[in-house]
Amino acid sequence: MNLRKIYKLGSPPYFFKLAILLEPWFLGCALLLISIGMYGGLFIAPPDYQMGDAYRIIYFHVPSAYLSMMAYVAMAMGSVVGLVWRSNVAFSFANSCAPVGASFTFLALITGMLWGKPMWGSAWVWDARLTSELILLFLYLAYILLYLSIPDRSKADRSASLFAIVGLVNIPIIHYSVVWWNTLHQASTLSRLAKPAIASEMLWPLMIMILGFSLFFFGIIMRRTAAEIMNREKKTRWIGSIFSEENDNV
Amino acid sequence: MIDVFRIIFLRDLKVSLRRWSDVFISLIFFILVCLIFPLTAGDDQILLLKIIGPVMLISALLATLLSMQSLFKPDVSNGSLEQLVISSNSLAYVVCIKIFCFWLVTVLPLLFVSGFIAASYYVDQQSILIVILTLLVSTPTFVNIAALAAALTVGVRHSGALMALIIIPLTLPAMIFGSKAIEYSILGFDPTAPLYFLIGMMIFTSTLGPFVTAAAIRISID
Repeated sequence: MNLRKIYKLGSPPYFFKLAILLEPWFLGCALLLISIGMYGGLFIAPPDYQMGDAYRIIYFHVPSAYLSMMAYVAMAMGSVVGLVWRSNVAFSFANSCAPVGASFTFLALITGMLWGKPMWGSAWVWDARLTSELILLFLYLAYILLYLSIPDRSKADRSASLFAIVGLVNIPIIHYSVVWWNTLHQASTLSRLAKPAIASEMLWPLMIMILGFSLFFFGIIMRRTAAEIMNREKKTRWIGSIFSEENDNV
Repeated sequence: MIDVFRIIFLRDLKVSLRRWSDVFISLIFFILVCLIFPLTAGDDQILLLKIIGPVMLISALLATLLSMQSLFKPDVSNGSLEQLVISSNSLAYVVCIKIFCFWLVTVLPLLFVSGFIAASYYVDQQSILIVILTLLVSTPTFVNIAALAAALTVGVRHSGALMALIIIPLTLPAMIFGSKAIEYSILGFDPTAPLYFLIGMMIFTSTLGPFVTAAAIRISID
């Protein structure tokens, strides 16, 4: 029974309707959580004894850095499913993750620079984690450009997906680069969840922000995937029937 | 198995020797890129010793990239790759042979030259061996990753820059550790740790790489 539900996700009309249904919920919850997290982060959390108020950019930096990687994992997972089951929905999903993930990577880099300028004295240092994040951005760009430059859509889907899976090798390197070349970047704050190295008043807004950003990501992905499915299936009957129904209601 | 190896290997060898100018161009390219640096940055021994590692690896990567564009494209346009895909032999094995032949014909000459180039960068004798050894264990990684990029971009008309965009992020770990190995050896440290990493990368990419490349060829061709 459960398996059948999972198989059903592969059907474009079903996923389309589900995505349209879920998107406002995801985005609404994301808006709520991000507002709570922002309030908590900007007003409730105490200033850091070393960095003062400047550390508060962490509430944008860490969630976007986290999502830059999670988007890649989501993209690679969509790619695996797409390659194994030849599922158009999974390809649409993977495909819509790429620009969003690239934007989060860009956001993480920009906020990191803004944070690094007053803290380290320079916006950019050749630290392992920064470099890996930059490489992640290039992986996203390579994925997008590879997809765009192959004229045949089915080939483009599969080639880019293969590349996404190969690029997944890069994610552990990003993660363990902290351990390998432990340099200027402060060690990850959240890796020791059992005994966090951060005051709890600072921590809970951060967690809420991460959750809010993730929901925002999924909301956006639902919308993009629905749009992509619509674009791919524009000649089919069901998409026409959906729109004629809406027209009837109006 | 052996027969397949012999036939494909000899065929690729013959083809690449008949197009010997391509091989020659990538060798000249490698030498030229290596020689630009002393000519532009000046004849400063300390500086040259500092940049020799990255220069060697970047030049080798670019030379690989340049010549790799002709690994699959001619075979696709004359239809022989399609025959290999539909033949009963494992495509990954065939790809493996092709990559090995490519490495032997195109990359191995670079290793012979790299010793002389390293000498012109004032590298001492002990470290010259390490430079060659580093290139020996890092170029298979480059070639395997470049072959994957070439297979992914077979259907793209101007694939050069796109291939670079695909290859450079993926080969970055090998580049970093390769430069580290040469740097350690020149500074008098023990370069075995980065060399082990490079060997690990080499084994990883040359065992799994052909399978992925074969899958990419299947996608691009059908």
